[in-house]
Amino acid sequence: MKLKNVAAVGSLALVTALALSSCASSGGDAGSTDSATPTSAAPTIDFASLSGTITAGGSSAQANAEAAWITAFTAQAKGVTINYDKSQGSGGGVTNWLAGSYDFAGSDSPLKDDQITQSQTLCGPGGALNLPVYLDGVAVIYNLAGVTDLNLSSATIAKIFSLQITTWNDPAIAADNPGVTLPSTPITTVTRSDGSGTTTNFTNYLSQTQPSIWTNAPGNAWPIAGSSAQQGGSGVVNTVKAGDGTIGYADHSAIGDLTAANVQVGTGTDFVAFSAEGASNAFTAAATTVDTGVEGDLAQKIDYTAITDADAYPIPLISYQILCTTFADEAQGELTKAFVSYVASDQGQQISAKNAGAAPIPADMLAQIATSLELVK
Amino acid sequence: MSKPGPSSPQQRAPKGMRAKARPADRIFLGLSTGSAASIMVILAGVALFLIIQAVPAIMADWQNNPELNEGPTSGYANFWTYVGPLIFGTLFASAIALIIGAPIAIGIALFISHYAPRRLAGILGYLVDLLAAVPSIVFGLWGIIVIRPFLLPLSDWLNTYLGWIPFFGGTVSTTGSTILAGAVVLAVMILPIITSISREIFLQTPRLHEEAALALGATKWEMIKMAVFPYGRSGVISATLLGLGRALGETMAIALIISPAILVSVRMLTEGENSQTIAANIALNFPIATTLQREALIGTGLLLFVISLAVNMLARIIAGRAGKSALKKRKKMLAQLPPSDPSTVLAVDDVLAGRATAAQATTGAAAAIDGDETETSKEEREGNDA
Repeated sequence: MKLKNVAAVGSLALVTALALSSCASSGGDAGSTDSATPTSAAPTIDFASLSGTITAGGSSAQANAEAAWITAFTAQAKGVTINYDKSQGSGGGVTNWLAGSYDFAGSDSPLKDDQITQSQTLCGPGGALNLPVYLDGVAVIYNLAGVTDLNLSSATIAKIFSLQITTWNDPAIAADNPGVTLPSTPITTVTRSDGSGTTTNFTNYLSQTQPSIWTNAPGNAWPIAGSSAQQGGSGVVNTVKAGDGTIGYADHSAIGDLTAANVQVGTGTDFVAFSAEGASNAFTAAATTVDTGVEGDLAQKIDYTAITDADAYPIPLISYQILCTTFADEAQGELTKAFVSYVASDQGQQISAKNAGAAPIPADMLAQIATSLELVK
Repeated sequence: MSKPGPSSPQQRAPKGMRAKARPADRIFLGLSTGSAASIMVILAGVALFLIIQAVPAIMADWQNNPELNEGPTSGYANFWTYVGPLIFGTLFASAIALIIGAPIAIGIALFISHYAPRRLAGILGYLVDLLAAVPSIVFGLWGIIVIRPFLLPLSDWLNTYLGWIPFFGGTVSTTGSTILAGAVVLAVMILPIITSISREIFLQTPRLHEEAALALGATKWEMIKMAVFPYGRSGVISATLLGLGRALGETMAIALIISPAILVSVRMLTEGENSQTIAANIALNFPIATTLQREALIGTGLLLFVISLAVNMLARIIAGRAGKSALKKRKKMLAQLPPSDPSTVLAVDDVLAGRATAAQATTGAAAAIDGDETETSKEEREGNDA
């Protein structure tokens, strides 16, 4: 009997299986023990009456903000525990939420059509709401000896990332930066090796603003071979930092002490550095609500070409909290609604801006979220 | 044997003489039988899970399926063109790791078993085992922060002077995120497995063989060549292949260190031409994958499962063959020695007598590795009797 041999294979397979099934988080609703007082108006939350556990997960882009919101929320609502699992990523978050394991999902992109259909199985005919609660920007970060201030036009960015420009002293970069001495260092582009909402936003930006240069379809996986592909936003940031002549893209809140390039707004001559205010202005200028057929849904579509003012940052990044309009457990619905209301309040947005480097969502969108949340029960 | 006595403990004692089984005996029997059976059930369950989950993606029309045409799976004609480069990358990275790691591991094992003073050997053995306890994510971070920049000068040198060899060609990486860096870390990760098994095997070389070789005038190295290596060959091969198994499935370190691309390339020093491995590809893309994409990733996992199975079977076949042929060769060699000199005859007799002990020792070593106890020992004994 070759039992031990089989066992060796078996254990290897088991490890694989465990890795594969790690998404099947047990989660589950720990139903609240006493039913919370219904809070009809979003901003006024009766914290003392809330208790129970909220289980959520998804996007790692909004993980720092989630942590800040959870800390602030549970400091007031002592009886509430909130778990946000950022290891799942946006896709895993939505999958687990659709499977009923999460009370809400964090996702960098709103539900797709087939997911909207699936969500009606979970949420009933009222469907699910995509609520834009997190706003940040995609920063173009670089590390180039001797260069501390760099302007990049959208065309130059598209050429660099599609590997059409390969050295830093290329005339196209020089034209964006008059008076700056650029070295002849070869350019190493640093991208994400894992699928990412940041990649989706960035490739969307490139294909909308420079469709003739950037011909690849936008998506969550980086489409061009030949770059240095790294795992996670932190992997990109570390690799850009460690190399010379490197350039990459990452959520602005995660870039640490790296320098980010000033990005050209529209087709004009203004180059804008990231600022929270700039991202909020870009949201106001470019984001429009998509009609998904679900009442109260606030899925946004960004038209990057509409960002033309010098007070707006050209590559905003929106992340959503996705939740059902009808919860199977009414008390759980009230609890989740209370938390999301808090996140989408002025106070919540100030917390994420201050503690997680995010930008506040404009006030009129917050008002719309409050209106949509009234549908949740 | 008609009369089983107390002198043969393997034989069952007659009913009346046997101790009465207590509840504890029955419970333990049940538990251990259950444990043994659970391995089969788990293995079958995993295989079934992989197959059931993978079939929709393997059967899907990759060219026209909208779900497969976006994100990580876009741009492939079918499942096999997607998984092909991944299989190559997995085998390639593991092969480099093995080429770097196995000789060092065997060297360490030999040093511990035959060269080092006893106290040093103990400490070294402990340190090697400690290496096995380091989590792979730590190895990954170490790879990013230390090994990547450390290998950059070597990469430049190899590319400049040996760039005509396909392995070292292409545009050399400036960040160090190469398959070479990944393989070096992998090599460190497989060191403990290969070292500790090889060490055990080398230690079990019969004293008689070693002393016979030394008595015949062999130097220490010649003794190792004549007595230790032939004796331990099959075990070392098994150890190496177990190391390969570890390398094939390694995920986090590879995912963190290497800048991957799904393509077939033997270049080891570039940024954008590192063949991706199956395990790292699953880890990187699983979180964002949609249902069918997940099934495609599970399909690649199924193939990794099959490859690992094949490697283990290969290990067994090679180990079995090497054991047999080594024995034949030794006996041939001994038979060719002129029996004129009485001391030679004595030595040969000793060596042959030593075979019996050797057979048992091999059995123990083999059991430690792959547990094929009865078969190996039977072969050995048959060979010995003939």
